[in-house]
Amino acid sequence: MTIPQSRVRNCSIIAHIDHGKSTLADRLLELTHTIEGRQMMSQVLDSMDLEREKGITIKARAVHLEYKANDGETYALNLIDTPGHVDFSYEVSRSLQACDGAILVVDAAQGIEAQTLANVHLALKEGLEIIPVINKIDLPSAQPEVVMEELENVLAIPREEVILASAKEGTGVPEILEAIVARIPPPKGSPDAPLRALVFDSHYDPYKGVICYIRLAEGTLHDHDVIRLMASGAETELLEVGVFRPQLVPLETLRAGDVGYVATGLKNVREAQVGDTVTTVANPASEPLPGYQEAKSLVFAGLYPLSGPDYPLLRDALEKLHLNDASVTYEPESSVALGFGFRCGFLGLLHMEIVQERLEREFNLDLIASAPSVEYRVQLTMNRGWVTVDNPAKFPDVGDIETIEEPWVHLGVVTPDRYIGSMMELTTNRRGSFTNLEYLDPQRVHMHFELPLAELIVDYYDQLKSRTQGYASMEYEESGYRAANLVKLDVMVAGEPIDALSLIVHRERAQTTGRQLTEKLKELIPRQMFEVPVQAAIGSHVVARETIRAMRKNVLAKCYGGDISRKRKLLEKQKEGKQRMKRVGSVEIPQEAFLAILRMGDE
Amino acid sequence: MVYAGSAARGPSSRVEAYVGALLTELSLRADALDALFGARPPLETVYIGGGTPTLLPSASIAAVLSLVRTRFGIAPGAEVTIESNPGPDERGSAAALVAAGVNRLSLGVQAVDPELLRRLGRRHSADDVAAAVGEARAAGIRSVSVDVLYDAPSQSVAAWGETLDASLALGVDHVSAYALTLDDPDLEGLTGPLGDHLPTRAGARRWRSAAVLEQSEDRAAEQYLLAVSRLAAAGFRGYEISNWGKPGHESRHNLVYWQRRPYEAVGPGAHAFDGVTRRWNAARLEGYLRALGGPAPSLVLPPGGSEVVDGADAAAERVILALRLDTGLPLAEAAAPGSPLEPHLAWALDAGLLEVAADRVRLTTRGRLLSNELFSRLV
Repeated sequence: MTIPQSRVRNCSIIAHIDHGKSTLADRLLELTHTIEGRQMMSQVLDSMDLEREKGITIKARAVHLEYKANDGETYALNLIDTPGHVDFSYEVSRSLQACDGAILVVDAAQGIEAQTLANVHLALKEGLEIIPVINKIDLPSAQPEVVMEELENVLAIPREEVILASAKEGTGVPEILEAIVARIPPPKGSPDAPLRALVFDSHYDPYKGVICYIRLAEGTLHDHDVIRLMASGAETELLEVGVFRPQLVPLETLRAGDVGYVATGLKNVREAQVGDTVTTVANPASEPLPGYQEAKSLVFAGLYPLSGPDYPLLRDALEKLHLNDASVTYEPESSVALGFGFRCGFLGLLHMEIVQERLEREFNLDLIASAPSVEYRVQLTMNRGWVTVDNPAKFPDVGDIETIEEPWVHLGVVTPDRYIGSMMELTTNRRGSFTNLEYLDPQRVHMHFELPLAELIVDYYDQLKSRTQGYASMEYEESGYRAANLVKLDVMVAGEPIDALSLIVHRERAQTTGRQLTEKLKELIPRQMFEVPVQAAIGSHVVARETIRAMRKNVLAKCYGGDISRKRKLLEKQKEGKQRMKRVGSVEIPQEAFLAILRMGDE
Repeated sequence: MVYAGSAARGPSSRVEAYVGALLTELSLRADALDALFGARPPLETVYIGGGTPTLLPSASIAAVLSLVRTRFGIAPGAEVTIESNPGPDERGSAAALVAAGVNRLSLGVQAVDPELLRRLGRRHSADDVAAAVGEARAAGIRSVSVDVLYDAPSQSVAAWGETLDASLALGVDHVSAYALTLDDPDLEGLTGPLGDHLPTRAGARRWRSAAVLEQSEDRAAEQYLLAVSRLAAAGFRGYEISNWGKPGHESRHNLVYWQRRPYEAVGPGAHAFDGVTRRWNAARLEGYLRALGGPAPSLVLPPGGSEVVDGADAAAERVILALRLDTGLPLAEAAAPGSPLEPHLAWALDAGLLEVAADRVRLTTRGRLLSNELFSRLV
């Protein structure tokens, strides 16, 4: 069964987090009988455990549907579900490049959110046809009229184009399918030209090697073709070619416009990177496709194995994870306190948390993360030029620093207007400044701020959510570097400097931060067998000090005939607890302490 | 060891059934040992405890000890202990206990402060304690021990001192001082149908979660140190982390546990050890009675479980139990390659947890208070 290129449609689903993308994807799979009801598991495309648990999509997922339209013809629809969280715009933009159209999902009760705006701008930049869908119209709080008004005013989307839907109940879903067929153009590109296929995602399979998710721009690909990856130069005979339904289903050929996968058998992840172009050795293309801009890491932190001998395991795990998630960067580093590990770059704080959790779960590692940092630019004295520093521990000595610059962001916040004051206070307290705001509707505003990125990554998002009862949403983009009066704050525990706890802070707030940090550490580090001073210092000048009093008593009072095995098990538990801590000098420090800076806002 | 659990409380018909089952289990256990070993040396110690066995009719206690004597043998000069509470309706007749063969009494005093006793749900007073000790002495009980409690909810160091002083003033021979331990046997998985603990009742759970907020690590350490100095001054030897005795009054029965020697046990929730295997009876009385209460041909040993402790576990256990005692273990053994203690010896000496005295390694007072810091490295 071959579906001609004129009846292929490639589209993404874009939305703010929680607006119902994954549920809509589930309904489309059901309605096209891609998955039968009894196999249907809620949120089929969120295949990571972590995604189902957190209820968010982290990775873009592709699926191939066959749909018999009202015109009697069968169409091939390739659907790519995308992440909605602010950290993952990079994944979204990559997916959009493999598409000709996008379904924009907006929650009928929530309306336009920050991420809706950001995603629409990405889609328009790619020149995609947009199918606007107002979802969750079954909710009692749904206000489709208001949301249509917003779409019209803010994004110039005519209300006639909007489809009203409830993915949960299935209303509007047939209309969405018809709109995909009618409004999204078929892919261009000749099936007879030399093959050029863009690798837009990949994962590693222990049996089939690197599996590349590809969109064919031109040409035709047969199973068992010998392919070349144009950037890496790697050549390999394919093990398999096919489409996602959503599990991998082998086919004999893929043609220009198709979205599918190739099983390369390659073992080395570097030979088939996301953004590379696949061509055939027999009839090679002369020019690769434009590929992707490399993901830009905004947040950096050290990841260290809890036990030193796990270092090679962590290296392998990062290599494999990198194949699934090209936006993580990593390079070896060492810390006096934590030993050997990797300096990793992340798209944001949630991304960092997810990467750490995936490494721990999928590769069975116990990790410690150092405090997150941004990338500073430091001009050295005596005309020695500029250096970039993403690790406070590696900051040059005060005497070597001429000036320091730090990254800033444009921050967009969508919030009910009753929180305008609270948002202004939150942002200006963090050295940010308010630019302007516009009303999306009579009750909701889109506020614009300028803010140092370093202030954003430290629990800004949590604060924003808690100060607005969860109503506000945000997105941000880099806006360049600015000079700043910053100093390095060092932390000493029992007299030993803990490099992994060093921070870069604004000079005026160094003392306050030092005090909050030492207080938090006192709370997070359990009592030891001796008194432990915790100090924060700028250079040799101590700005804050707390003391963790010595542990007085840890004893099992009773141990008789019936207790012995039980007490042994309790001791084993205590031992496991200790093994989850990092010994620095003579002090055992729990993992959470290294992230104390993120938790200073907690009470 | 005869373990009563809570079975001694309840309607008399159930108590009768329980005593019958206990006698049956004693016979079955003795049969099993006879089949394995034939002739055995008589018992050096007998302990009737867990709950308040003195609630049982004196005749029942006499019957149990009589059957123990017939089937297991009790060595001349053996230590025969019974646990008791000081309340007039709980402590039974000291004279009858002596007549049955008891020569050591372990009294659950806990405290002398009426407010704390009420909080702990105890029915006795300080006067009852004095009366109980007096009766025991008059009946000829050779050795009297008291259990006392520190780190109790809101218990001041001074109040604890009064409990210690009151006990010493009565001329007792032995003191067991325990920190109140508010653990959760349910969480530890000990309360299933075959577990050795009964499930925690909702009321008890509420009591514990309130009480734990009124405990204090620092205060408990002060209280322990007070016990160490006050009992030493009164001529007691702190021969185990929680136990002090006048010379010759150490609990010979409990030393069996710490020296890891074998012991037999009967009763719901009781634990036995043969040197390799620990065996326990399930704590639930219904299952116990069902197994042992039927007509003779259908009798079976009660439900329960067992666990083999060998290799590294046994070696670690041996060191931990030895270190609970003031005799510790020989330095040569502790420092021998392969000893579980050897890799941690230098650290523990340096941290002031261990000391060397007369070629033996033992816990310091600081080491006793922080013993889990060392022990958790050994398992």
